[in-house]
Amino acid sequence: MTTDELEKLLAQQPIALLHRLARGRVHRHFRAGKRRLIELLLRHSAENRAGFESDLQALIGERKSQRPEPPQLRHQAPLSPRTDHQSRRPHPHHEPDSHEPSVSLAEWLAGIGVPTPQPFVPDPWQDDALDKLETGDVIVSVPTGSGKTYVAVEAARRAMEDNRTVIYTSPLKALSNTKYTEFSRIFGADLVGILTGDRRDNGQAPLLIMTTEILRNLLYDAAGGEIDLRLDTLGLVIMDESQYLADPERGVVWEETIIFCPSQARLLLLSASIGNPHDIADWLTSIRPVPCHLIKHSKRTVPLRAGYLHPDGKLTPLFRTIGIPHGHPGHWHPEAKRLFARYEDETMPSGRRR
Amino acid sequence: MPPSIHPVDLISALRQKHLTPAIVFLTSRRACDEAMQAFDHNEALLPPARQEAIAAVLDDVIAQYPSIAEHPLIPTVQRIGVAAHHAGHLPSWKIAVEELMRHGCLDAVFATTTLAAGVDFPARTVIITQSSIRKARDFTDLTIGEVQQIAGRAGRRGKDLVGFAIVTPSPYIDLAVLTKGFTGHPEAINSQFVITYPMVLNLLKAHPLDQMQSILAKSFAQFQLNQRAEVLERKLDDVHRQMEPYGPRVCTDWISQWHMFDQVRRQRSHRAPAKNHEPPEVAARFRFLTPGRVTGLSKARGVVLRQYRSKGQKSPMVTLLRPGGAITECPAAIVTDVFDRMLECKEAPSYPWCTPESLESLLQDLEDLPTRLPTLPILVSKDDEPIPDAVVQTLGDFSCPTCPSRSACQKDYLNASKLRQEQQRHMKSIQALRTSLWHRFQERIEALQKFGYLTATAQLTEAGEWARLIRIDHSLLITELIRSEAFTGADPSLLAAVMSSIAHDDDRPGLFPRISAGLGSLLGQVRKLAESLAPYEEPPLLRADIAAVTERWIADPQLTWIGLCKMTTMAEGDIYRLLARTLEFLSQLHTLKDTHPALADCASQAMAVLRRGVLEELP
Repeated sequence: MTTDELEKLLAQQPIALLHRLARGRVHRHFRAGKRRLIELLLRHSAENRAGFESDLQALIGERKSQRPEPPQLRHQAPLSPRTDHQSRRPHPHHEPDSHEPSVSLAEWLAGIGVPTPQPFVPDPWQDDALDKLETGDVIVSVPTGSGKTYVAVEAARRAMEDNRTVIYTSPLKALSNTKYTEFSRIFGADLVGILTGDRRDNGQAPLLIMTTEILRNLLYDAAGGEIDLRLDTLGLVIMDESQYLADPERGVVWEETIIFCPSQARLLLLSASIGNPHDIADWLTSIRPVPCHLIKHSKRTVPLRAGYLHPDGKLTPLFRTIGIPHGHPGHWHPEAKRLFARYEDETMPSGRRR
Repeated sequence: MPPSIHPVDLISALRQKHLTPAIVFLTSRRACDEAMQAFDHNEALLPPARQEAIAAVLDDVIAQYPSIAEHPLIPTVQRIGVAAHHAGHLPSWKIAVEELMRHGCLDAVFATTTLAAGVDFPARTVIITQSSIRKARDFTDLTIGEVQQIAGRAGRRGKDLVGFAIVTPSPYIDLAVLTKGFTGHPEAINSQFVITYPMVLNLLKAHPLDQMQSILAKSFAQFQLNQRAEVLERKLDDVHRQMEPYGPRVCTDWISQWHMFDQVRRQRSHRAPAKNHEPPEVAARFRFLTPGRVTGLSKARGVVLRQYRSKGQKSPMVTLLRPGGAITECPAAIVTDVFDRMLECKEAPSYPWCTPESLESLLQDLEDLPTRLPTLPILVSKDDEPIPDAVVQTLGDFSCPTCPSRSACQKDYLNASKLRQEQQRHMKSIQALRTSLWHRFQERIEALQKFGYLTATAQLTEAGEWARLIRIDHSLLITELIRSEAFTGADPSLLAAVMSSIAHDDDRPGLFPRISAGLGSLLGQVRKLAESLAPYEEPPLLRADIAAVTERWIADPQLTWIGLCKMTTMAEGDIYRLLARTLEFLSQLHTLKDTHPALADCASQAMAVLRRGVLEELP
């Protein structure tokens, strides 16, 4: 096929097909109009012309076999995506590695519910973090919602039992307030204090909650000679949401606080999943008197499943597997893929149904 | 066609599949509010038992924060069990929504993606409707970390067996960004260390200057710079290893020696090609066309006055004296015969290229020449002569042409010089990485010395001693304002208004109350100063309309929160944040009570008035 012929053939195809062809080939193809898309596809096809043409033929073939289908397809019960028309339709190109059948909606939805109440047993990593805090600083980098607060509460409790002061910092005033209420409930109101720029509630309490900026200012005051509060008895500094270290505007405050944190106090950094927690652990080890231990895992306590909800109300799994296929962003569920292609087709400015 | 699912349909679909409670992340605050309005005409009511549960939880929250008792959203929330939660709301309302979620009273909350980090409550399901968020006036794709932060809210520990993250498309969504976000490994985070004026002042207060470099070395910024420097050092080692065969030869620095030699040679050879274009007989003849030579032209004869090469083409040229006294510049090719006769010619450096006397005699001699003259036998060689080594050597006193390692140098030069350039580049970058923080620190010191906060020996001056207590954004502007006595005699409302216009960094447009004349002139003064400080500190927005809001709130202690909200189109939550930030700035001024008692007193008066109503509820 010559380039001209290919261009003509592409121009004859509906835009939805072009978008499906462009997926994985052209970056942000969904923003391109038809003419631009053809241009981009042609430019891309220069690298692997044969593969491109065979994909195109497969898509055209698939489209032809799809056309005689009755229009009520979209109103069909979404319960079992592997019905007749599904298995009849071949997926020759865009799912070369699917050997196992995709998960069905029923399977995907199975298991919703409330677990039977069980006595709380800390996860091994939680115990591990608390043990490691005995011998050094700790940075915890785990997915959101895995129970970092438990580590913070237990660590604070242990430090307070040793008659040491604990400071808990959060990035937002709103989060400080939430934690203040929460910790007051756990430890009793007289043991918890909160500091803001202009107000001190129970400022002599052994557990103090503040934003990171306030702690930074306290540390500067202490370094400048004005001894403030109970920094000499400070035993533990807990910094929640420490991924704010990378915040363009406020990240510097986290660094200042960590650099000037008194050496007798232990540091407990709680962070959401980040890409380089070991760097931060290495950094802390290099500047602090005690080594910094890294507690890291990516397993969620409550398993996560991803789904796709079409604007017409049809729900389908997003991935072929029941859970999240880590490292395989291309393992889409065929039904989600089909529905989304249709969505793009319908919402594309130049691609109204023809 | 509505390009995305209708909120009512969305919630009923979720309810039907037992996917509630859910957090629905939407693009903007407005999208959240519109989603709530979509339920206005919805018939589906919550069962009475659940409505009562919501009322009970709300009563508890209202007891603590009375300001939300009259909140306009309460009836809707109670009726349908759905709420909105975004930065435009009061913190106390957000606490109420979070409390309702924690008790499991709500089916869904509409929230903005921008504040995913601030949404601190989990649900069974999160709904994602977009793949990009607005950051600094531009839409950028969600990072993997952000997608996981959002998805992380799905699945409540101890309350759910599984959590669900469901994508429902809206226009311009790119599903690939989201699937990558779900399945990928979060991005590495990088230091955002900047050196601020208060940081410099506070560090110099506590530590001597010679310790500064070691303190800066403790930053994560330097740690990461060192990591990059180490990568470069490894590369540099590699380059060193590759350079081993190119060590000292006859000359120690043979690479630069050859480089110079090569350049000189090239310059020479640049001149050479011009010669090659001329026919060999012209080239051969040209050597004999010296001043005084008698030549034959096509019709007459001439005497050469000078020979030269033209400036551009370097073509051989001669200046000829023709019979009759005409002096012409001609290409050497015009000469047809070179006669074996030289005339007496005294050369001169300028036109007519010989002394007037000799010009006279030349003209005379030219007339007197016999009709037949012997031509000069000139041998035309077909091949280019090799450049004599002697000539090359005189070009630059190089020993290279006769050096025993000449061929080796010639062979290795290209590789070796490439390697050496790489080596020098790496060394420069490593140097920059190791010292950039310190240089920036020194720049700050210089600026502070210029404004008189530091002495020449980097000690804190009297002004520096108090200025270090101002540890907020735009600290230089604020301390300079204090030093220029801009606030002397200003009443608390003016002080607070100026502080709030410095503190506010949002450029959302809106309708605002009118500004008083006093505040207007004071702001003009502040703006002028801020502009003059622009080379040292990014000037704040200094919006007069924002200042007016704060001024009204302080100037009129009888003004209620509702009254203030009615004066402007700003969202409640934004007004709250503005006043809370103003409070923070004022409290920094309050710390100057030892050196500026009047100002500190004024600030604390402003704070006392400011902190009323809604602002009193939360610490």
